Amino acid sequence: MRSIWHWFNERTGFGDTCVQLGNIPTPGRPSWCRTLPCAITFAFILEAITGFFLWAYYSPSTQTAWESVYYVQNHVVGGWLLRAMHHFTAHVLLAMLILYVVHNVLTGACRAPRELVFWATVGLGLCVLAAVLTGDLLSWDQNGYSATKTRTGFLMLLPWVGESLLKLAIGGPGPALGNLTLTRFFALHVGLFSGGFLLLLVIRGALAHRANAALAIDADEITPYWPRQAWRSALACLVVVAIVLVLTFRHGTATAGVPLLSPADTDPANNYAAARPEWFLVGVYEFSHLFPGQWGVIPVFVVPGLLVGLLLAMPFFARQPFGQAFNVVFMLMLLAAVVGMTYASYTKDRNDPAHQKAIALENWQSQRVRELARHEGIPPTGALTLLRNDPKTQGPRLFKQCASCHVHRADAYLMPDIKTESPSAPDLTAFASRPWLTGLLDPKQINGPAYYRFCKFRGGKMAQFVKENLGELDADEKQDLDKVIAAISAEAQLPAQRKIDARDAKRIAEGRELILNSEAPFTCTDCHQFHGKGKQGDAPSLTGYGSSEWIAGIVRNPADSRFYGKQNDRMPAYAPNTDPAQNTLSAKQIEQLTDWLRGAWHEESAANPGK
Amino acid sequence: MKDHLCCCHEESPSGDRNARRGFLGQAIALLCGATAFLIPTAVGVATFLNPLRQKGQGGRWMRLATLDTLPTDGTPQRVPVIADRTDAWTRYPAEPVGAVFLRRSGEKVAALQVVCPHAGCTIDYQSSPKGGAFLCPCHTATFDLQGKRTQTTSPCPRDMDRLEVEVRNNVEVWVKFESFLLGVASKVPQA
Repeated sequence: MRSIWHWFNERTGFGDTCVQLGNIPTPGRPSWCRTLPCAITFAFILEAITGFFLWAYYSPSTQTAWESVYYVQNHVVGGWLLRAMHHFTAHVLLAMLILYVVHNVLTGACRAPRELVFWATVGLGLCVLAAVLTGDLLSWDQNGYSATKTRTGFLMLLPWVGESLLKLAIGGPGPALGNLTLTRFFALHVGLFSGGFLLLLVIRGALAHRANAALAIDADEITPYWPRQAWRSALACLVVVAIVLVLTFRHGTATAGVPLLSPADTDPANNYAAARPEWFLVGVYEFSHLFPGQWGVIPVFVVPGLLVGLLLAMPFFARQPFGQAFNVVFMLMLLAAVVGMTYASYTKDRNDPAHQKAIALENWQSQRVRELARHEGIPPTGALTLLRNDPKTQGPRLFKQCASCHVHRADAYLMPDIKTESPSAPDLTAFASRPWLTGLLDPKQINGPAYYRFCKFRGGKMAQFVKENLGELDADEKQDLDKVIAAISAEAQLPAQRKIDARDAKRIAEGRELILNSEAPFTCTDCHQFHGKGKQGDAPSLTGYGSSEWIAGIVRNPADSRFYGKQNDRMPAYAPNTDPAQNTLSAKQIEQLTDWLRGAWHEESAANPGK
Repeated sequence: MKDHLCCCHEESPSGDRNARRGFLGQAIALLCGATAFLIPTAVGVATFLNPLRQKGQGGRWMRLATLDTLPTDGTPQRVPVIADRTDAWTRYPAEPVGAVFLRRSGEKVAALQVVCPHAGCTIDYQSSPKGGAFLCPCHTATFDLQGKRTQTTSPCPRDMDRLEVEVRNNVEVWVKFESFLLGVASKVPQA
């Protein structure tokens, strides 16, 4: 063993180098402040390690970026932890660099002979900043996408070169970010900014070594690096890991890690309204609101640029009389301003119901896309297709058109901005279900707000009929009415009623007979058509009432003789033409709207989540 | 970062007056440094090894043909296998995932994988007046119609892979489509 070591050491000088490094004299006593460069280096190595393993899974394209991250997060053992460590370490790294720069300014450690060391440290900070900003897009989720779109859009604020820079950044004319944005950002993230960081780190190390040697000459006390400074530094590295793990698990084990929102939607209509910059840019974000749009270049480029310039000049200010005092006061004021702005921004968002609603909607959507991915797998066109084809997601968006008259009391998340200010048509929540029909055939409710109050059928033939014939029923007739309701509702074949429809097959058959026999009080077929009985044209057909085909038909053209015919109130025909180009809604949109109104979508049962 | 480089030694002169404190410092430095590095590395390596947990789909029973579409004279018919395929995160619906040779003899059907057990090339069927044979184009392994090797020293380590077949409802030909490890003498399903 000894001879092997000897052999190795003789050829490499490894042991001697270690001894030399260990004996590097550090001026002054060992200190905790001096652990920061070591912790920063360690955090970078941690990023390199976790980054490499993430790289082994990542696939940068619009159809696979989110999907590969989803795979790491949900299907690779420990993948979520790997991703969380990579994410939080970057933020801790940036925080440490900010801390170190501030420390250097406040203590005057940036002064001669350490000016270049200080510059290199600022450079490291800018590299991490750039790496975090490019890394943010790579998961291709709603937040990263929207935030990056805004950020790259800022380039347009620059005179003359703005447009060219934007094209270079996103890899094309835009406006949507795409495949080339991903490949470019990935290359910048892994190659330029991380590589640049490494290069600067080496340069900084060499410069610091030289500066320390110069300082050590005049120092009262000198301590060798090993082991008294070394163990403090090693402990600091472990603290970095501990902080990262605390951040990972700060919301408990169930929601540990970094959230992955729903896949980026390139449709501007579905822009994520709650996208915000990372914590370290929130101050600038808030600051930029102080300026009118056309002056955006000032808060986004000019002021931050001047501040960086000022920061770089601080080592030289410090030589002047009162220079160090100026540096300290300025740095403290700047910190106070940034913290104040940041706090103001977070407070504003916390108290903004629209912002909170957008977050809630996005949380719902990211949950939903996971359910769909588990249920049917991710198609080759990407996970966004799952949401685009999902009636539960698309229904509320499509219903916005209907909501100018109709009410739908769906989940608040799904309908964040659907509000029927003044309803003027029936409430379509659970349309054609038994409770809905029971209300319609109730003399007390038919002219109420949920049904005919605001439309022209109020007090019309149907309302008249219900009032006169269904008001005072004896027990037997009430039973029969229930059967009739069950029979009509069964026409809809609603997924939610599948079980009770099967259970009540006999009652449904009896109800159907009652309608077909047309005996008082169930003389529906006097006006409505029902399975060959009665004629079309006076009132909507009850054959297949509320079924997919029926609803799609009435949306396409309510004035068709099968529905309201000439009696149609104000409902527009959304697809009356055979030429799709002339219709308001496409066949697919109508299908999704229909499925949504009928509650026909995949629902993950609470008892059996997962595959 | 100098700390972890210097992970060795007694040679390192402590400079501390108190030797015990020096030892404690060294121990803390090594222990903390090593732990700090081990944690991310362990997590990373664990994720990298994830493919070892993945299992193949195993055999799947699939309806590949009907009896009347197969030649009655025993000529093998190459039938493509279309199935859903999952590639990491992507689910490809109804894709060609392989093919089998089906040979009908009376009411019975035999199925052979088209994949050569040697190196995974696709075996061809070559008809000839004498009755035809299977030939692998890559290393010229030849097989008879039952899939048995016909050369005295075949490049192929085993006969062609037979698949289980069931004729259901008198007409439907169902095959348990399965892949086997290549290059070995025994027929081992790919797990």
